[in-house]
Amino acid sequence: MPHEKDGVQRMIEWVGRKTIAGYTYLAALATLVTQAVLDLLLPTRQGRGETRRVLVRQILFTGVDALPVTTVIALLLGIIIVTQAGTQLPRLGAGGLVGSIIVVTVIRELGPLITAFIVVGRSGTAIATELGNMSVTREVVALRLMGISISRFVIMPRMVGMVLSMLCLTLYFDVVAVLGGYLIAAAQLTIPFYAFVESITKALSTTDVLMTAIKGLSFGSAVAAICCYHGLAVQSSFTEVPQQTTRAMINSFVLCLLIDVVVTVPLYL
Amino acid sequence: MNEAALVLEQVRTPMAGGPHALDVDLRIAAGEFVALVGPSRSGKSLMIELAAGLVRPEAGRVVLLGHEWDDTQETEQTPIRLRVGTVLQQPGLLSNMTLFQNVLLPLRYHHGAMPERSREQAVMAQLERLGVAPMRDRFPDELNHGEVRRAAIARALILDPEVLLLDDPVAGLDAEMVLALKACIEARRAHHPLTVVAALRNFSPFIEAADRLVVLQDGRVVVDGARHAVAGAVPEMLRKYVE
Repeated sequence: MPHEKDGVQRMIEWVGRKTIAGYTYLAALATLVTQAVLDLLLPTRQGRGETRRVLVRQILFTGVDALPVTTVIALLLGIIIVTQAGTQLPRLGAGGLVGSIIVVTVIRELGPLITAFIVVGRSGTAIATELGNMSVTREVVALRLMGISISRFVIMPRMVGMVLSMLCLTLYFDVVAVLGGYLIAAAQLTIPFYAFVESITKALSTTDVLMTAIKGLSFGSAVAAICCYHGLAVQSSFTEVPQQTTRAMINSFVLCLLIDVVVTVPLYL
Repeated sequence: MNEAALVLEQVRTPMAGGPHALDVDLRIAAGEFVALVGPSRSGKSLMIELAAGLVRPEAGRVVLLGHEWDDTQETEQTPIRLRVGTVLQQPGLLSNMTLFQNVLLPLRYHHGAMPERSREQAVMAQLERLGVAPMRDRFPDELNHGEVRRAAIARALILDPEVLLLDDPVAGLDAEMVLALKACIEARRAHHPLTVVAALRNFSPFIEAADRLVVLQDGRVVVDGARHAVAGAVPEMLRKYVE
């Protein structure tokens, strides 16, 4: 019996520790986001030009450079979904629901999520690695010593760049996926363009577009905060860099899915 | 007596990787050039990091240019940092910027209103003084240790600091470059008041520019005084660091 009690106690302690660690982690991420928002809204004259340069570089890397891969994935996803929907739904007598399927699967869910996964894989890991290496080579300390704000010069432009890029990429992904769906619908299912567009516009509501944008913004903030946090958590060894990068990637995926659930469930249930 | 530029008042803090703790009580006057010398793990680098506000002491207080680091929030540190140039053992040049851009960065960040041409002239003058102007378009990875160190010193001097904290400034420098660095610091001190605190782990002619020697061993000051006056007081086993 005493052993059992010890085991239960240990388990409760473990759960307690993990819960506290989880809250602490989320609080640290929230602090990073809040500080970045404050830096954005309360700009000082100091470092404005330099910060803008970092921001532009981040948008180019996260947004513009990601366009080819996003195009390919979105196009293929659109083709796959419309192929499945277009071949299965008519058997059930629901051929007119192709538009709804596109809206529900691509615009509401897969568009924001897959875009987030692309951004995490390309840019999130790059940010975590870059900041990790900067920490090890003491570039971060050198910036502090020069009176350059890490939050304003390093974190804020990366976060803003990632959020803007994520938002634009999400909307772009949705448009390209719908286009991919139309291509296959026109080629194989011989659905007329107007019918295809009509079925989508009928199914699409303002809420859907708004939710997609909100998801893009939330995912962007979360991924940027997580990747900056883990990059800057690297202490003194290069071996920590891949470890923190992996953590950043996994945690980004998990938090994006959590945010998706939190945003989606109350709205559509 | 001059106003103190740096005060380490009864500072005590553990030293990483060793059994000893740094235990010092030191006051450095404005305009003084102090050389911290001693073997590895004697606490020189830790003193530089304490002075730069990167490490908080376990006991005692560190006051730099009248500001106690413990009382200064991270957000309030910028005005102090602008008056202090620091080069650590790992100089931390930004790897995605050329040497020129590295030295230009503090000017661009803190003096946004200054015309770009004036900024570039100031950077080139600084690079020329330290003999790294020909490498201006190279990235840190393309430079040797001595060039990286000189570039970092150029970056530390670009904002005309009142205090210069240098951790092993002559590491990787050839004899000629050590003399050039010494001449650069001396010229600077002749024209502007500049307090220099330099940690040196080997004997170097650079030490001759110092007004005062502080010899450390196992985290404690064993000799402290004017360079010429204390040379004879340095224990036999530590003489190789100062002569």
